[in-house]
Amino acid sequence: MLKYLVIVLDDTSVSYCHYNNECKEKRLIDIDTLKKGIVYAMKENLSIQYVLPDYTLPKKYVEVMESIDNIKFCSSNSDMIDEADVIVLNGWCSNINFNREKTYVLRISKEELFEKEKDIKLSFDKMSRLNVVITNITSFKDSDIDRYNDVLNSFSKDVKSLIQNGFKINILTDRIMLDAMNNCNAGAENITLAPDGCFYVCPAFYHCGENGEYGLGKTKFCIGNLEKGVDIKNSQLYEVEYAPLCRKCDAYHCKRCVWLNLNSTYEINTPSHEQCVVAHLERNASKTLLESIGKHKLFVPEKEIKEISYLDPFDIIDKL
Amino acid sequence: MTKIKDLDFSWQSKITKNITFIVTKDCQLACKYCYLVGKNEKERMSWEVAKQAIDYILNNEDKFKEEAVIWDFIGGEPFLEIELIDKICDYIKIQMFKKDHHWFNSYIFSFSTNGINYHTEKVQNFINKNKDHLSIGITIDGTKRKHDLNRIWKGEGPEKGSYEDVVKNIPLWLKQFPEAGTKVTISSTDIPYIKESVLHLFSLGIHEVNINCVFEDVWKEGDDLVFEEQLIELADEIIDNNLYEDNVCSFFSEHIGKPLDRELDNQNWCGAGKMLSIDTAGNFYPCTRFAQYSLRSKRNWIIGDINNGIDNNKLRPFLTLDRCTQSSQECIDCEVASGCAWCQGENYDAALTPTIYQRSTAICKMHKATVRANNYYWNKLYRKLELEGKREDFEKRGIKVSPISCY
Repeated sequence: MLKYLVIVLDDTSVSYCHYNNECKEKRLIDIDTLKKGIVYAMKENLSIQYVLPDYTLPKKYVEVMESIDNIKFCSSNSDMIDEADVIVLNGWCSNINFNREKTYVLRISKEELFEKEKDIKLSFDKMSRLNVVITNITSFKDSDIDRYNDVLNSFSKDVKSLIQNGFKINILTDRIMLDAMNNCNAGAENITLAPDGCFYVCPAFYHCGENGEYGLGKTKFCIGNLEKGVDIKNSQLYEVEYAPLCRKCDAYHCKRCVWLNLNSTYEINTPSHEQCVVAHLERNASKTLLESIGKHKLFVPEKEIKEISYLDPFDIIDKL
Repeated sequence: MTKIKDLDFSWQSKITKNITFIVTKDCQLACKYCYLVGKNEKERMSWEVAKQAIDYILNNEDKFKEEAVIWDFIGGEPFLEIELIDKICDYIKIQMFKKDHHWFNSYIFSFSTNGINYHTEKVQNFINKNKDHLSIGITIDGTKRKHDLNRIWKGEGPEKGSYEDVVKNIPLWLKQFPEAGTKVTISSTDIPYIKESVLHLFSLGIHEVNINCVFEDVWKEGDDLVFEEQLIELADEIIDNNLYEDNVCSFFSEHIGKPLDRELDNQNWCGAGKMLSIDTAGNFYPCTRFAQYSLRSKRNWIIGDINNGIDNNKLRPFLTLDRCTQSSQECIDCEVASGCAWCQGENYDAALTPTIYQRSTAICKMHKATVRANNYYWNKLYRKLELEGKREDFEKRGIKVSPISCY
């Protein structure tokens, strides 16, 4: 069931996830489209998330946007950073004035993450929540496993002392708090309204552009518009129950990114080996963290993360 | 050492790898029901492509751990490229021996042919050279009028059926492969000729007739009723004339038409993804049906190529696919679900989106008609055997029925 409507306000709006938005040409959503989108969300009981560009939006837009409760995403370079709830860092920069009231998304390549791990964790105590997004996860190799484990263990040492003060980092603390799948769920729980007035599964399916190809066809495909409503073909495939590898998996925090799925395996419901391995390294690091803290201290006495022998559920598919 | 004849070369078997070379996209015929919509005379496999494919496969033994292999050759019509095939097979044998490969002596070369060139010297020389490792199926659709309804020569001008060109080679084929079966394909137009065709094939000495309806959405209103009537008449002929003693028709199987358990019977129908198909350009596919010349409305699903090997991420959807995830609730709950086949390639081609996870149900009515006729067949046959006191013997003998084939 849909719960959220993401509204991409401009073609240059920031990416807050795995996809890149390389568009430099501004194209602000038509204000009537914005109004209709808000009304649509109100009628369908959807919470709104705005994705902002870096420039200051016209006052009349801000007034319309604020006619409904919302969450705003913007980049750390945006002129509207003070208004935003979620700040996206494209690569690590230490000179940010972190604000504990906001959530931070760090979009970072695995190479930069491995290189700047110490710098990054020095800022943990200035934030309340950090979401780390590895932007080139598809290039993750088996030879990266040890290095990523090192990063997770290193982060874990600092998180251990900060977690009881409320600090959260998606790759270590989310799994501890979950007892069921809690993925991105694009196409199942959230959809995106783009500046062209059409709905998309998520912003990635819009920003990939008209020439984007994934092997079986165009990656850009819309799933309806404000006039005709939402029509997702084979919509069941966006639900975890229709994902054979994921429905019995317990890497509950995994993004289960359908955009990555489509590009790497050609199927919305099938994650790549790389996405599974990364999620399981995080899961296992979360298990170690939970055990080192003691679940009673976290007020999660029922929580236990089991020992498993694999990093990719595909390796035990016959047993699932 | 295990003898070649002792091995189970069922294409669905977990121990056997099926590797298909699409040696040509050309065929002498232009069968009306053929799913190969992109046949042409230009695309032929070169020796260089074939050799590189073999080298990749045999040099990566750790990726091909199945105990045995079926080297399959299709087209178009594979025997149009008999010289290339002969060279490929010689190379495979030499390389398997040189590498002490675990497939050495655990292989067969398999062909589905229209039979037209079967008698030619080159084909016969190939057969004689490889006779202990060969499986050849000739497709003959039944009586002349049924066969010629669909299986016609390509080209301009009036339609010319191919029956006479095929049937003349059946005696030689059966002499060389006495246990061979044939595949019969049913489309909408030839339903009225099913009974006579199966009986005709039995009379030619073909004791195993594997027959199935095309998976494409070609069926017209009322086809299922005519189809059921044909099968009932066929059942009467087989039972009344004791033909069941020496012959098998895959329409009649005791395993057809039962409900399926969500958990225990959740496996996928076909071997797409477990097989490997190589086209004339050296691209790899999970099954031939995913090559472009097989697809009406979707793009080819390439899983690798001879230069870069197999991309395992592209195989994951196939190897995790199960029955229920791709089926509608109606199919999952169906009371007569067992034996209801699907073709993964046709599912993909007919799906609303580019996915293998949406099962086509175009044959639903035809399957239900099959189930009704099948129930009639077994009720009638067992009653007869009981009255004759032969049921126990019959059941002890067991019945060999090949799985419903792709085509």
